[in-house]
Amino acid sequence: MSVLQVQNITKIFPGTVALDDVSITFESGRVNALVGKNGSGKSTLVKIINGAQPTTSGKILIDGEEMHFLGPKDAFNKSITTVYQELSLIPGWTVAENILMGRYKMKGKLIDWEKSYEMADEILNEMGIDMNSQEMVYKLSIWERQLLEIVKAVNHNPKVILLDEPTSSLTQKESQMLFKLVMELKKRDVVIIYITHRLQELWEIADTCTVLKDGKCTGNIEMKNATHKQILDLMFGDVVIKHRPKNLEPSDQVVLKVNNLTREPAFKNVSFELKKGEILGIAGMLGSGRTELLRAIFGADQFDRGEIIVEQENIKFPSPIKMKEMGLALTPEDRKNEGLIQVMSVKNNLCNASLKLLSRGIFINRKLEIEFANRQVENLQIKTPDINFQVTSLSGGNQQKIVIGNWLNTSPKVILFDEPSRGIDVDAKQQIFQIIWELSRKGISSILVSSELEELLEVCHRILIMRHGQITGVIRPEALKIDDLYSRCMGGNAF
Amino acid sequence: MKTNLNWKTPDFYKIVRRYTMELILVGMIIALSLFADGFATYTNLLGILRSAAITGVIAFGMTMTIIGGEIDLSVGSAIALSAVMTATLTGKIADAGILSLEYAVVAAMIVSLIIGAIIGFINGFIRTKFNMPSFIITLAMLNVLHGLASVISGGFPITTLPMWYNFIGAGRIGSVPVAVIWLLIVFAITSIVMNYSRFGREVYAVGGNPEAARLSGINVKGVKIIIMVVVQVMAAFAGIIFSALVMSGSSTFGRGREIDVISAVIIGGASLNGGIGKIRGTFMGIIFLGIVMNAMTLLGVDIFVQHIFRGLLILFAVLLYTVQNQKQLRTRK
Repeated sequence: MSVLQVQNITKIFPGTVALDDVSITFESGRVNALVGKNGSGKSTLVKIINGAQPTTSGKILIDGEEMHFLGPKDAFNKSITTVYQELSLIPGWTVAENILMGRYKMKGKLIDWEKSYEMADEILNEMGIDMNSQEMVYKLSIWERQLLEIVKAVNHNPKVILLDEPTSSLTQKESQMLFKLVMELKKRDVVIIYITHRLQELWEIADTCTVLKDGKCTGNIEMKNATHKQILDLMFGDVVIKHRPKNLEPSDQVVLKVNNLTREPAFKNVSFELKKGEILGIAGMLGSGRTELLRAIFGADQFDRGEIIVEQENIKFPSPIKMKEMGLALTPEDRKNEGLIQVMSVKNNLCNASLKLLSRGIFINRKLEIEFANRQVENLQIKTPDINFQVTSLSGGNQQKIVIGNWLNTSPKVILFDEPSRGIDVDAKQQIFQIIWELSRKGISSILVSSELEELLEVCHRILIMRHGQITGVIRPEALKIDDLYSRCMGGNAF
Repeated sequence: MKTNLNWKTPDFYKIVRRYTMELILVGMIIALSLFADGFATYTNLLGILRSAAITGVIAFGMTMTIIGGEIDLSVGSAIALSAVMTATLTGKIADAGILSLEYAVVAAMIVSLIIGAIIGFINGFIRTKFNMPSFIITLAMLNVLHGLASVISGGFPITTLPMWYNFIGAGRIGSVPVAVIWLLIVFAITSIVMNYSRFGREVYAVGGNPEAARLSGINVKGVKIIIMVVVQVMAAFAGIIFSALVMSGSSTFGRGREIDVISAVIIGGASLNGGIGKIRGTFMGIIFLGIVMNAMTLLGVDIFVQHIFRGLLILFAVLLYTVQNQKQLRTRK
């Protein structure tokens, strides 16, 4: 039996204590779940165990022997493997090539493909996976790739394997296939650490569960005795909900109406109304279809059926161009790759969506352009040396503000915010909420998608709950506590 | 740590970095004026511009295409097709008695330009409709257009052209060659479009990040089609200038010219990844290439050796930009 011990780990980042004297013991032969809401220190702990970050103080021991990692590669060589959500497979290679990763059977100087495929087949068989080792990886579905990812990791004979939310983009059925493989892993002498957002999975797959909250380990319990309420309490403790300004009320006028909007398999029969000045939240975990929904409403992606009605006009063929005309705006989830043009200046990024407005005939009115850019820099308090600075060098928060400013320059009626607070610091986050509230006061409606559910309670008038592509409930933030919202989104049955 | 000499102020570096190509060019001109007999004469300098005109006209269009994240490899063949089309059509129209030879050539030129636009539209349409790389589409088109030019001309130069037509390619206004005037006009127009117009900004946006541009409500497909059309029209125009210069149309015209064009654009600092580049830079690139070729001829460098130098020049220019960009990235961290 192998044991991974984390002893008195503390990790201090400038300004915050990410982990505070955390000690946990993980044993092999069992599935050790690690849970905690965003910002609980969960991912920091993962990074410390797999060598991606050094500790401030504390020790990591494997079988009683203290480990020092120079980096992820060093940790990997010392038999700690991490399977991330982002896939590390090479799509243009076959299944066998990905599993063996260069360690082929050779015939002299040449690769003996026949024997290599046999070897890969054997490895797959051993783990009870039915997969053709000669298949190209890009032809596999996501869950098959996820399985393959694990097989590849295990093939290096690790002592510790970290599974970072392996089911987050899988359906329930697909998750079952993955669980089968994890069960298979339990038979081996390997410490399994299973990180997840989906609480109901814990009872299916985990033997123990460690909960982190605000950088501290709040509990380490055996799953067979655990209740939903117990775990939620450990995750959230006593929660105080902050409120949006009291006098902020939406009007009765409907600006956007969505009827039975469907795009299989991402989302199905989504219907809702958005009032003028309203801030509508969509709560859902990763993979619940929320991003796809926003993109479809904005015309960035196609949908199968349903209606999008903007101020009584039924939009038959939505496209970003058309929706911009109708007064909609979208700040995308992936601001680096979809929101900004990195090679361009702050000024140009602030004016990309409003070029038509600041042109006279075919020419851009440069004075007006500078005015537009300066206005947003001022109002949104974007910190930049000057407006001709390239956006790449700005911080995440400032970049996010530029994406928002780009759209504010179009004078929109509805803004769709997809994860506006992801990866930005607390101050910038509060500023962005302030912006959303001010917009609401001016009669501009917002739809806000966030995985940080506390934020939604803090910011929104009304919250739709989205699960597996469907709206499963509508709540008012006043009427609900955060742990309740979490369990509704994750599909637990604590209520 | 590097020691800071007085003249090595950050401003100095900034200027050097911004105007590297211009500085090298100035240095080269000074050196050549001293060492190459006949270089620093008015006629020779105008001659350099004149011989660069055909490449240059296309290069300005190609700059837009490359900034927009696309490329067109078929411009060399497009020169041939346009030259052959113009010459053949002139003869046909005049033979049919519709117009006299003098006017027939005007109609033929217009048709050639329209055909160029249609070819560009086809390239752009395939690019945007089927999401096929423009590199492949235009590589195929390179062969198709060359084949078309050969079929239409039957493999022989066609010379049924009126005398005044020669003026377009070889004429002079005062002492300035008309070809140079064409070059400057196209430079001015593309420069204004890329620097001051909404469309120009959209080209930069589309080349910089097509998805972000699309999500900003910019008509990405439209922009891509237009830049593919522009470069083809420029190539057709260059074909007309060329045929006017030599007073014939032949399918052998323009072979390999796409390499000169793309070289000039790249020496001018445009990035093949899109989003980065300047019309002004391309002008530098054109002059740079022109001067180097001219100087080598004046200095009596063997024609085969000239090719080696030209290749090294492109390599060196791109290396310079790459190293600079990496340095910039590093200092940012």
